[in-house]
Amino acid sequence: MSHWRQHPLPWLIATVALASLPQLMTMPAPLVLLTLSPMLWRGLAALRHWRPLPSLVRIALTFAGLAMLVLSYGNLLGRRAAVGLLTVMLAMKLLECFRARDARIVASLTLFLCSTQFLFSQGLPMVFYGIGVSCGALLSLALIERHDSWGRSGQTPPSGLGLRRELGFGSRLLLLAVPMALAVFLLFPRWGTPLWGLPEQSLDARSGLSTSMTPGSIQGLFMDDSPAFRARFEGSLPSREELYWRGPVMWNFDGRSWSFGGWMRGLERQTLPNADAAPYRYEVQMEPNERHWLFALDYPGLIPDKTRLTEDFQLLRQRRHAITSLFRYDMVSDPGFQDSPELSIVLRNAALQLPEQFNPRTRELVERWRAETPNDAALVRRVLAHFNQQPFRYTLNPPLLSRHSVDEFLFDTQAGFCEHYASTFTVMMRMAGIPARVVTGYQGGWYNELGNYLLVRQSDAHAWAEIWLPGVGWTRIDPTAAVAPSRVEDGPLDALNQRRHAFDFPWMRQIRNGFDILDRTWNQWVIGFDAARQSNLLGIIGIEKLQSRDLALLLAVVLLLGSVAVVPWLKRLGKRRERDALLRQWRRFIGRLADAGVPVSAALGPLEVGAAAASHLPTQAQAARQLAQEYLAQRYGDEAGDREALIQGLKKFRARTEKHGS
Amino acid sequence: MTTFAPPAPSRLSRWQPGKRLSRWFLTRLQQRRGVTHLPRQLAYRDIYILPTPFGYAFAVLLIFTALGGLNFNNNLALLLVFTVGTLAQMTTFLAYRNLTGLTVTTLFAEPVFAGQTARFQLRLHNEEARYRYSVQSAKANHSDGDCKDIPPDDSACLKLPQSASERGWLSAPALRIETRYPLGLFRAWTWLFPSARCLVYARPTANPPPLPLMGHGASGPSRRGEGDQLHGLRTYQAGDPLKRIAWRSSARHDALLTREMEAPQERACVLDFDQLTGMELEQRLSLLTAWVLLADQQQLSYSLHLPTLQIGPASDTPHRLACLKALALYDA
Repeated sequence: MSHWRQHPLPWLIATVALASLPQLMTMPAPLVLLTLSPMLWRGLAALRHWRPLPSLVRIALTFAGLAMLVLSYGNLLGRRAAVGLLTVMLAMKLLECFRARDARIVASLTLFLCSTQFLFSQGLPMVFYGIGVSCGALLSLALIERHDSWGRSGQTPPSGLGLRRELGFGSRLLLLAVPMALAVFLLFPRWGTPLWGLPEQSLDARSGLSTSMTPGSIQGLFMDDSPAFRARFEGSLPSREELYWRGPVMWNFDGRSWSFGGWMRGLERQTLPNADAAPYRYEVQMEPNERHWLFALDYPGLIPDKTRLTEDFQLLRQRRHAITSLFRYDMVSDPGFQDSPELSIVLRNAALQLPEQFNPRTRELVERWRAETPNDAALVRRVLAHFNQQPFRYTLNPPLLSRHSVDEFLFDTQAGFCEHYASTFTVMMRMAGIPARVVTGYQGGWYNELGNYLLVRQSDAHAWAEIWLPGVGWTRIDPTAAVAPSRVEDGPLDALNQRRHAFDFPWMRQIRNGFDILDRTWNQWVIGFDAARQSNLLGIIGIEKLQSRDLALLLAVVLLLGSVAVVPWLKRLGKRRERDALLRQWRRFIGRLADAGVPVSAALGPLEVGAAAASHLPTQAQAARQLAQEYLAQRYGDEAGDREALIQGLKKFRARTEKHGS
Repeated sequence: MTTFAPPAPSRLSRWQPGKRLSRWFLTRLQQRRGVTHLPRQLAYRDIYILPTPFGYAFAVLLIFTALGGLNFNNNLALLLVFTVGTLAQMTTFLAYRNLTGLTVTTLFAEPVFAGQTARFQLRLHNEEARYRYSVQSAKANHSDGDCKDIPPDDSACLKLPQSASERGWLSAPALRIETRYPLGLFRAWTWLFPSARCLVYARPTANPPPLPLMGHGASGPSRRGEGDQLHGLRTYQAGDPLKRIAWRSSARHDALLTREMEAPQERACVLDFDQLTGMELEQRLSLLTAWVLLADQQQLSYSLHLPTLQIGPASDTPHRLACLKALALYDA
């Protein structure tokens, strides 16, 4: 019996476990249990020599798994749900993994499962995940093969050279494979446009700002440190007070939550800032979030492809073009642009809409202030001063609010997050008859000096208000800044005097931000590599405007040349080089003779080799026989001859084969 | 821990349209190649390589993954496919290298009786400095065979069972030496058409009638020194085996005594083909074979009389083998 390390099953189970790890982290607990239990069962079955489960039990378990998946995900159309299905079924397959065939299927499918995980994230950690799964799968396949070959004649394979030497061998092989794989990666013809898109209902909208804002929605994002996007500025960098990245704009308020007016989707912006005169030009590299919004500083002057700019300056991707992979766009912004000096009656009504019979105390307060102040601007100042002077707190854990949320916030709790301030301020403006709306997006960012780019994380999510003033147009007001000015100056993490979780230290955040440049480079060069980059790259070395067919041809040539280089390497792999130069040359001499069709092998004596060569190569009979005799004399004779000359002679000998009449 | 169960015979494996084709191909190849003379070192033109069914399935899986990766421009998935694909492609070379340079030294089988299984032994020698893993041998058109590793500068013996139903010479079948090393994606193999043969003795009759004994043999008085009956005691001489020393008697006589043994008196018999009248040829040969075995077992001196030749009388192993061979190859 061989050692467990030589047996494929532990490796196979470990590979399945590793491959399903990212999926397990997103699955509800019952499904995690359902996925892990077949692995455990199969391991115990091997140790305790259990028999396979009856097929009825397996079918019942499969259906139970399907039912649990549908219950957890609603349907099986979403990508998470589909990958969940794959994960659960792959684990279930272990239950019937008693033949080499099934084991091979499982090992190969772990590779497929691994590649589906790349749909959700292609970050640097996923590289290690991919390497781990492929090594596990290949090792499992190798061991399965070994056990299958031996098992067919009823034997258990002996342990081979030992895991260490075999891993060494495998890694050298990998070293040879990687350059070839990179060549294929660079030269493989890419598709400019996808053949099939993702159906909208299969999107999961994993992260980022959503189409509605309820108290707590931005606070959830605040816990999330993953990058939202990165922006690289050409020329001057805006000041922190200008770094308002505009996202979903909320018009509708139902007393509790704000929502994006779907009707706005159809309302396209007519007048744009002049792109040529805009002071800020930058390139945004956006992480996939499966949503439709692009982010830009106020006010965007360019409209990327397959995108529309709505009346309220939201950049919305078209249907079926949600951001499902790393997305890059160029943008210009002009903060000085005057947005809508005139407001149509429809928009004005929309920006004043409020549900009746909510928040009576606030309404009363606003009406009192309205009477006391001469104009809109004074009223705004009054409200902001109220926020600033009253003991309002900026906090991560605001008390829960009920029906009259604005009343309770304004008079009772006085503690909240940016969304509370933006929402309350906007409601108050509408009560005072000033058109107002809530804008969500990101504020600030971390400037990476080494990479010269601005990193915006999900935790930078923010909400602010915009009011419309006659003659001035829409004007941004950030009530949070009145309460906690450091929110805008230093970012939300420093504005709070509390840690978000046990490992949330400023120095850790600094290190993480510093390492973000690796992620960005990875994004830039590996994840973002597409048809356009490919043609740019080939352009650098002077190959331009290649068709797919030419690319395939180029790839074939490179691979062929690569093989020519790799095959001798492979040939030498695992071979011991003969130390004795004379013996080495003698063996090569015999090898060349054998290649020329002379029936010789290393097992023959020198005289036999000479005789065989002489009879098969009549024109070189003399030379061959002489070399053989000289070799015999030097190796076995008494006197030492000219060793170097013999080595050279053996080296230079080339068998000339000619067709003699047969 | 259990190894994997052998593949179940499925309906698919019984349906083999390619079997006739491959038999035809093999006949053609054998005609062209002729007999493989041993020893033979496998060269690159001897070695064929093709994907296994699993290899094809794996390729389909990789292609689908690559299509998905291309469609969503998912570069990590593409990198995974390209790296694994390149490695898989490289295994063709490893499989080829696992066979090339291997020397087929001998193919040989001990004689068996008809109805038994002849065990051909194929000896492979690895004169190179690298390990060769999981080298298998199988009869052509049979899927499974013996499997061995061959360490550097070492050889291994692979068994090839072949059922022997008729007496006479059993030729070694056309053979395959193959390997699916390292991942089972590709199978490299070579054909061998060896000239080796196995002698198949006639099938001995079960429960044969008693031997036709003919009184005492001509070998004279019983031989001393060997056998299993006690003849007497004599004084120890240097060189007598220790187990022959009669320790108890030696103690009584103050001198080492050795037991002298003798073989029972030999009897003789003549196994005559012509006396077995009223039987078919094969029945006669079977009966004679059974008698030869019986006589040998009883350590009789016996002789075999066939119409064409006479052997014996004798009672030793070479005699038995000569008799069995004569019966196996008897040609009426």
